[in-house]
Amino acid sequence: MKRRNFIKSSVVASTSLMMPAFFKSVTPNHMSSRSGKILVVIQLSGGNDGLNTIIPFENDIYYNMRPTVAIPKTEVLGISDELGFHPSLAPLRDLYNNGELSIINSVGYPNPDRSHFRSMDIWQTASASNEYLSTGWLGRYLDSECEGYPVYHALEVDEGLSLALKGAHRSGFAMDNPNRIKQAANYHYLKRARQQTQASEENISYLYKTLTDTQESADYLFEQSKVHKSKITYPNTKLAKDLKQIAELITADTATQIYYVSLGGFDTHAAQKGKQQRLLKQYAEAVKAFTDDLKSNDLFDDAVIMTFSEFGRRVKQNAGGGTDHGTANNVFMMGGKLKKAGFYNAAPNLSNLQNDDLIYEIDFRRIYVDLLGNWLEADADKVLKGQFKGLKLV
Amino acid sequence: MEKQTIIQHLFARAGFGLSPQEWQARKDWSKAQALHEIFGEKIQSIPVLVSMPLPQKDMTQEQRMERQKRQRELTGNENINWITRMGSPKESAFLERMTLFWHGHFACETQIAYLAAQQINSIRKHALGNFRELVLAIAKDPSMIRYLNNQQNRKKKPNENFARELMELFTIGRGNYSEKDIKEAARAFTGWAHNQKGEYIFRKGQHDYEQKTFMGQMGNFNGDEIIDLILKKRETAVFITRKVYKYFVNENIEENRVKNLANDFYDSNYNILKLMYAIFNSDWFYDAENIGTKIKSPVELIAGFMRQTNASNFTKQGLLYTQKALGQILFKPPNVAGWAGGKNWIDNSTLTTRLNFTTIVIQASELAANNEHKKLKKRQIKRFQATLDFEPIFELVEGKEDAAIIKTLTEYLIHPPLTVPKKIVQNFSKNENRSTFIKNVCRRLMGLPEYQMC
Repeated sequence: MKRRNFIKSSVVASTSLMMPAFFKSVTPNHMSSRSGKILVVIQLSGGNDGLNTIIPFENDIYYNMRPTVAIPKTEVLGISDELGFHPSLAPLRDLYNNGELSIINSVGYPNPDRSHFRSMDIWQTASASNEYLSTGWLGRYLDSECEGYPVYHALEVDEGLSLALKGAHRSGFAMDNPNRIKQAANYHYLKRARQQTQASEENISYLYKTLTDTQESADYLFEQSKVHKSKITYPNTKLAKDLKQIAELITADTATQIYYVSLGGFDTHAAQKGKQQRLLKQYAEAVKAFTDDLKSNDLFDDAVIMTFSEFGRRVKQNAGGGTDHGTANNVFMMGGKLKKAGFYNAAPNLSNLQNDDLIYEIDFRRIYVDLLGNWLEADADKVLKGQFKGLKLV
Repeated sequence: MEKQTIIQHLFARAGFGLSPQEWQARKDWSKAQALHEIFGEKIQSIPVLVSMPLPQKDMTQEQRMERQKRQRELTGNENINWITRMGSPKESAFLERMTLFWHGHFACETQIAYLAAQQINSIRKHALGNFRELVLAIAKDPSMIRYLNNQQNRKKKPNENFARELMELFTIGRGNYSEKDIKEAARAFTGWAHNQKGEYIFRKGQHDYEQKTFMGQMGNFNGDEIIDLILKKRETAVFITRKVYKYFVNENIEENRVKNLANDFYDSNYNILKLMYAIFNSDWFYDAENIGTKIKSPVELIAGFMRQTNASNFTKQGLLYTQKALGQILFKPPNVAGWAGGKNWIDNSTLTTRLNFTTIVIQASELAANNEHKKLKKRQIKRFQATLDFEPIFELVEGKEDAAIIKTLTEYLIHPPLTVPKKIVQNFSKNENRSTFIKNVCRRLMGLPEYQMC
């Protein structure tokens, strides 16, 4: 790995002098660079149809259940004897062939919930389906392992912060682009206010501290975003733009370890074929450019990219050329240093369904164990509030 | 404690704060006068102007999606109706505030406009009445029946979802019942369903009339009796009182106070009005530690701002977008546990939006009033426009010098003590034009973290 120590703490240091000690959000040595591994989470919102993503092209049940929605065998990009890619995923073929992509089939959880919001909450909080948590799995990681780190230790490239990154004491940072925060209507006024506040009451202090963190982080990330400009050509899509921004920040050795980004629109109840084809194309092309970018900077070995969706879709298609909400789904892991590449487990069993839906085989929290315990070297049991066995993929 | 602080605190917590006119008229009132007014208000339900979508067989996928889209739009309208009501000085703030509290307590996501309106009316009807009646109304509410799958709760195949949440979240709380109690209670609620007209119905054929053992008692209990048995436990009064205290008084709970209040609540046979009166009439409610120390929920923030600026004609997109960006959409709680509240409202993104929201609405409304549509479009703030009326605020500070204006408006708009020098507010508000200066002071004060508190 190329270590680039761009010390960008000067902005912070100068403002820190004027603040009471309490409001100092970060210490300069944590600002200077990241240490070690990077995790990128890509969320496909709406419930991506896993069966049309990784296609069981030798399975008659698949074709019988989906007379108009199935991807014809001739179009499937075969990657194993029985499973193949959706044609839109062609850009990912090299990753698969190079042993840089791992696919886990039939990932889910007991008593699956078919509501988007609920199931997404379950994935983001790593809760059981009858348990309601107000902190996310990455938020709890920040709580238990990241004391003293800056708020952008976990960064979501979006306008709002997902529950996944909210902890009880520490949360991640949400930023669509750093300019936007700096252009906010009250920026200079609030800078003056937070520098001179005498807040002591707990909640008001918390607000001022969050404000201080926000402005300092925006300043820092704005500077970081100018350090390195990518030499790779990215497609002109939102996801590609987000991933490009992430690649540039990683290459600039930004002190961020976790990145979170989403792509929506996968709720394909009607006319699924065209929609999913476009979305998967956006996904695959953006990810291809992103991984090429990381590789060209010798950074792919330090990164793991995990892609998930809140649920898969019903095996049987509906009357509108679409599919309804389902249960278990596949999860992708990518990286230059995977311990096990290719298919982790066999294709989902289409002849053994429960309420017309796939039965999960791998609890999604086992993947989190890999990411938290193995990759980020954290106490996964503590973060997940329970014991799950890792898959040893990373 | 200063008299004005008492009045401001009471109206902030038992409502959404006062309009400038109301503030002017009430700031020198005694506590007794204010309580008399608040508790003398009449309960009125909102007329339901939408109807249940007609049942239709063999809908195509497109028709179904079209219908869902239409219902989303109509539910959005119900959302706007309600938040506008909360933000209007013409309506009973106390009743709406209680209804909002219970909406978060009996958290339920509703996608059919008629059912959403019906549920809120039902909550409004009992919001200050008897808690037993309220629980019963919720148990028979078609929205809740759908949300917690009681429509599928049948004798042959009981669904425990409603029974579980009834005890865990709605009445007695964890640790006071067993898994067996949930199973038995679920049997008692079998057959509680709704028809296509959106009315509660009891399906005799699906009800389990057999004997049940619930909380150590045996009998052929029905749902009403299960609710009675739960309410018979003092723990239920404590659970509800603790939640009320946390919401209306302080996140940090004084267990002794809760215990006393809960005892009276229980002895009054769960009279909600009496419980609320006891809180607002207590001395400790006005202790410094309880004033200006709660983070406003997004809906409280928006409704309070609307009252203070006499806002009308808020765009629907603006109100819905702001609720979404700040993490609280009416009729769409995150899950059946409701909004977590407190510091959970705050992250870097929601805080930035909160601190900018009022300035952006004031600026957008001004541009709209001056027909500067190009600027509105260029700054992408078109959806934040409303019709604001600053005249009453001008009257509040009429004839005053700069420093006195800031002092008066701070007293009116900010609940906790200001933690920044007033000089900053003054420097960032400077303007030759008197009314622009006053407006600037308002938006600068409203743009501070202190304004997020009540």
